Amino acid sequence: MFDVILYTQWKWSRLIIVLGSLAGFALPIVSVQGAASGDRGALAAGALLQTVQSWGVLYPVLAAALGLLVAIATWAPDHRGRHVHALSLPVARWRYVLLRFASGATLLALPILAVLAGAILATWSATIPVGLRGYALALAARFALAVLVAYAVFFAVSAGTARTAGIILAVIGSVILLQIVASVANVDLDVFGELQVAVLNWPGPLAIFTGRWMLIDV
Amino acid sequence: MTNAVELHQVRYRASRTFEIGNLDLNVRSGSIYGFLGPNGSGKTTTMRLALGLLRPLSGRITVLGDEIPANAPRVLARVGYVPEQPHLDPTLTVRESLRFQAAFYATWDWPRAEQLLRQFDLEERNTFGRLSKGQKGKLMTLLALAQRPELLVLDEPTDGLDPVVRRDVLSALLDYVSQHQATVFISSHLVHELERICDWIGVMDNGRLITEVPMDRFKNGIKRLRVADAPPTVADAPFVILARERANGRVETWVVRDWEPAMAAYFETVGAALNDVIDLDLEEGFVELLRTFRAPRG
Repeated sequence: MFDVILYTQWKWSRLIIVLGSLAGFALPIVSVQGAASGDRGALAAGALLQTVQSWGVLYPVLAAALGLLVAIATWAPDHRGRHVHALSLPVARWRYVLLRFASGATLLALPILAVLAGAILATWSATIPVGLRGYALALAARFALAVLVAYAVFFAVSAGTARTAGIILAVIGSVILLQIVASVANVDLDVFGELQVAVLNWPGPLAIFTGRWMLIDV
Repeated sequence: MTNAVELHQVRYRASRTFEIGNLDLNVRSGSIYGFLGPNGSGKTTTMRLALGLLRPLSGRITVLGDEIPANAPRVLARVGYVPEQPHLDPTLTVRESLRFQAAFYATWDWPRAEQLLRQFDLEERNTFGRLSKGQKGKLMTLLALAQRPELLVLDEPTDGLDPVVRRDVLSALLDYVSQHQATVFISSHLVHELERICDWIGVMDNGRLITEVPMDRFKNGIKRLRVADAPPTVADAPFVILARERANGRVETWVVRDWEPAMAAYFETVGAALNDVIDLDLEEGFVELLRTFRAPRG
């Protein structure tokens, strides 16, 4: 059963997976492009870290994009058919959802492995200044976690009906309205700041996307 | 077990303006049950309720002896369903659609599927999205039959198909039913088609089941009568008068239900004369039944 679900998932999202894998493989290599020469000193180490850090912002972006696009691709055909086919199959709904989730997650292993391969190749080919180290495995593990978090969030949102989407939009709208009203009334309330702290700071659910994504670090 | 499908006092609200109210419906095991009704009468909703695709507000649904929706996966493994709209993934080829479906059914019959593929002349490399309406109808029928179901739920399976394709699809269905003694619950707008194949009939309108009777009783029980010198009001008639119209002079045309030949004697008791008894086909009977059901009651 899983093999046919995985096959359909591959058919729907292969372009995303292939492009994501290429980008994931290239990103670590591109980020250490200037580190090939063997005569780097302390200042060069700082420059290298800066370069690696500047490229590092693209990892969470790639992770979020992959999670979003694969999640959308996972549900799009079912949404198009108004879920009639899925519901008429002799399988419990929770199991079908689990199969769909697992198939998307399985395919996302490819770009994760591509990041790992690219990171290993990049740290192996680069001349790393004394005092710095390559963190290929840690970077790939973090990328994997970010991809899965993004996929899980967007999978849950995409699984919903138009009503669910309406509820989510209504909640976001209410928060914005609350902030506007608080500002107009001169009330010391920073809803967005509080939300940012709660969601993006550790142990917030999306904390994985923030911070420094360093392939090479001290 | 005598009923393959049982709905007891089922209520479902589809929108603010439409609901299925306290529906009782029984599809006998081994029967071919034709489900008639105008567009929007609730046929598709009822079928989806029976399959557990929708959850009723109240009431009890049993299919092949199992409760729905609690045991829906177990029931659906024994049911072949052809929905009103073909709903398969348009990017999958015919062969891929077959493989996908086969993976979910332990009873899948590959030789039968291959035979139907040839019989329906379906090109297996074509994607579902590129198939014509007739080919889609054939593929949906193939998928439903190849899983060797005990119950076929067919929601207007031949709607919009040309007569040749319709004949192919119906003939495959009837072959299967005769070989496997399966039960068929079929809705269609093509009343004559149902008249040919069904042995039970249910008529639905506005979320309510108007009638549910054996086909022969439905066809034989609804008659058009020509009555002379009919009294203005008729009391204690042994049949149900669906419609009454003046034809010419002293003669009126009545459409009645539950008619039996012995009832002709009734007219003498009220001082009238029965001139003629005319058989109605299923379509005429269906239309008259709906007309009466919808007529404002005084």
